[in-house]
Amino acid sequence: MVATATIRPDENLKRFFYASLIFHGALAVVVAVSTYFSHGGESWGSPGGSVTVGLVGSVPAIPLPQPEVVSPNRVVDESKGLFKSEPQPKPKVEPESTPIPKFERNKPPKYISRPSKVLENPAPAPPNAIPYGGGGTPTVPVTSFALGTTGATAAGLIAGGASGGDFASRFGAYVTAVQQRISREWLESTVDPSLMYAPRVRVTFDILRNGSVANIQLIQSSNNRSLDNSAIRAVQSSNPLLPLPAAYSGSYVNVEFYFDYKR
Amino acid sequence: MRLMSRTKSYLRKPFAALAIAFFLAGPAMAQDWFKTGTGLGITKARVAVPDTVARSTFTQPLPKTFHDVLWSDLDYSGILDLVSPSFYPLQAPGQPSELNAQAWAAAPANAYMVAYGNMTTDGPNIAFSGYLSDVHNPASPPAIQKIYRGVATDSDARRLAHQFADDIIAFLSGGQPGIAQTKIAYVSGRSGNKEIWTMDYDGANQQQVTHLKSIALTPRWSPDASRIAFTCYVPYRGVTSAQICIYSSVSNRLIAFPRYRGTNSSPAWSPDGSQIAFMSSQNGDPEIYVADANGAKLHRITFAAGVSTSPTWNPKTGKQMVFVSDRGGSPVLYLSDTDGSNVQQLAVPDMGYVIDPTWSPNGQLLAFSWRRPSGNYDIYVMDIVSRQLVELTKDEARNERPSWAPDGRHLVFESTRTGTRQIWSMLADGSQPHQLTFQGENESPNWSTK
Repeated sequence: MVATATIRPDENLKRFFYASLIFHGALAVVVAVSTYFSHGGESWGSPGGSVTVGLVGSVPAIPLPQPEVVSPNRVVDESKGLFKSEPQPKPKVEPESTPIPKFERNKPPKYISRPSKVLENPAPAPPNAIPYGGGGTPTVPVTSFALGTTGATAAGLIAGGASGGDFASRFGAYVTAVQQRISREWLESTVDPSLMYAPRVRVTFDILRNGSVANIQLIQSSNNRSLDNSAIRAVQSSNPLLPLPAAYSGSYVNVEFYFDYKR
Repeated sequence: MRLMSRTKSYLRKPFAALAIAFFLAGPAMAQDWFKTGTGLGITKARVAVPDTVARSTFTQPLPKTFHDVLWSDLDYSGILDLVSPSFYPLQAPGQPSELNAQAWAAAPANAYMVAYGNMTTDGPNIAFSGYLSDVHNPASPPAIQKIYRGVATDSDARRLAHQFADDIIAFLSGGQPGIAQTKIAYVSGRSGNKEIWTMDYDGANQQQVTHLKSIALTPRWSPDASRIAFTCYVPYRGVTSAQICIYSSVSNRLIAFPRYRGTNSSPAWSPDGSQIAFMSSQNGDPEIYVADANGAKLHRITFAAGVSTSPTWNPKTGKQMVFVSDRGGSPVLYLSDTDGSNVQQLAVPDMGYVIDPTWSPNGQLLAFSWRRPSGNYDIYVMDIVSRQLVELTKDEARNERPSWAPDGRHLVFESTRTGTRQIWSMLADGSQPHQLTFQGENESPNWSTK
C-alpha cells in the first residue's frame, strides 16, 4: 500500500509488459529463422566457394609491422641500475631578507717586534759554506809555484800543468800519479758523442791518509750533463788512490782537478 | 762546521766577526792542496831504469837477472815509457846520494822518474835496496825507498824484481796494483796427458799442478787465488764423464765437489768466491747451473732449447752473467741476471761463432773469440754498455780463449800463430804480444785474480 501509493493509479504496467513479450518473441523467431536460412545449404568450409586472396601489401589501409630501427638514442630504462642518478638539487629558497652585517671595529695590526728572528735561517750551514768574510780571492799567491825547483820543466809530462801549495812542490811525483790514475779512469765513451768541445769541468775532492777519496764536488760545470758525470765518475772509480806520501804529515789533501774535453 | 752556524749569530758584531774570520782562515790556509787536471790523451811517464849496482861479489849474475826482470815488467806494464839505456848518464846510482838528478832530467835522457838501487849478499841471502826518485824535484824524498830480502837464487831474484816492479807500477798508476806477481793457469799436454799447469805472468817458473793422467780442461782461479776449478775426466765406477774438479793450491790436492749425471764442464767462480756456475747436462739438455763452492744449493739458471755454456760473472757486481748459447742457431753471447732473468742477446754485426766470453775486472769490457764467416777465430773486446767492438788480433791463425789480467790492462790467450797451439799475452789494446809457452801444446789460459 505504501509502494502503490507513489504510483499513480492511472499508470498501468501491463501494457508495457505485453509489448516487451511480443517484441522478444518476434526477436526469437527472427533469430531461429535466420539461423535456418543462413546454414541451410552446404556446410561451412566445404569446397565449392571461391575465395579470393589478395596481396596484403596491396592494401594500404592495413598498417604493416615496421622493421627495427637502431636509434642512436638511449632508451631510458626505468629499472634500477647500478648507478644512482644524481638527485635533483633542492631548489634554493631565497631568503626573503638578509640580516645587515654588523660593523666591526677595525683593530690595529700587531707589529712584529723582532723581524730578525723570523728571517734567520734555522738550518745549520752546509759544510762547504763560506764563512763571513771568507769568500773572494784567497790572499795567498797560488799561481807562482813550479814543479821543479831547479828550473827544469816538466817536459810535457804533466799535460795540464800542476799547481798548488807546498804539497805540489814537495810531492810532485804523487801529484802526477793522481793525475795519471784519474786520466786513465776517465772514459771518453761515456761522454755524449756529438760533443766536440766543452768548457773546462772542475771537480774538487779530498784524498785521505789511506788514499781514499772523499767530498767529491763539481765546482764548475761544462753545461753538458754527460761530461760532468764522466768527470765525477772518473774520480769515483779512482777510489782508492795512492796513500799519501809517508813524509807528509797532514791528514788529508784537497785536490782541484780539471777536465778539458776536446774531441 | 757547527761552529760556523753558531758564528753566524755573532756576525752582527763587527769585531767578533773579524776575530772569527781570522780564526777560521788560519787552519783553512794551512790545509795542503794541489791543483791538476787532464785532457784526453795523456803522455806516459818516462822512467829510466839504470843497471842494478852490485855492492858485493856475486857467484851468480843475480843483479843482472834482477835488472832484466824489472825492465821487462815495467816495459810490459803499459803505463810507462822506458828511456832507452843508450841515453843514460855513465854512472848508475846505487842510492839517492849518488843520483845526479840534473843529468837524468836533462836531455837526452829526459827522464821523469829513475828506478834504481843496489844489491848486497852475505852468501845465502840477498837484499836489494830500491829507490824511485823524481829527478825534476830532487829536494823531495824518493817516492819509494824499500829493502827487498830473499835467498840467493835465480827465482828469488826474479820474485824481488817483481815486487819492486809492482811497487813502482802501483805508485805511478796512482794506486792500482800491478800484475808482476800474478800467475797464469793453463792446460798443457807436454807430459802426455792434458793436465793443469801454472806459470808466472811472464812465462817463467812453469809447474805442473795436477797429475790425474786423464784430461783436464778450462782452469779457473777462485777470486782469492787459493783454488782452481776445472773440468776433469775422472773415472768413477767404470764410467768416465766430464765433471767439475777443484784443486786447492794451499793443500796441493783436489777438494770435494759433487759428481752429477751427464757432462759437466766450464766452471766459473762468482766474484765473492762463494758460488760456481757451470754447464751441466744432468737433466738432458746442456744448461747452466749454479751451486755453492761446496756443491750445495744446486739450481738451474737457463731454460732454453739448445746448449748454454761458458758462463762468466760480472766481477764488479756479481749480478750479471754472460754465457754462450746456440738457442738462436749458431753460438752467440747472451747476457742475463745471475738468477736467469732478463736474458738478452749481445748482438754482433756479423755472422759466425762467438764463444769464450770473459768479463774484465772493472765490469766494463767483455773479451771473447769470434770466428767470422770470412776468417778464423780472433780476439775481440766489447764495451758492454755501448756494444762497441774492437778487434785485437787479425790474420794470425787462430786466437782463442782470452782471459783478463786483474789490472784490466792485459789479456792472455791461446794462439796457433807459430804453428803449434801456445799461450800468448798482450796488452788489452792488442799491442806487445808475448809468447809465454814454447813446449808441446798449451791451451785454455786463465789469469789469476791477484
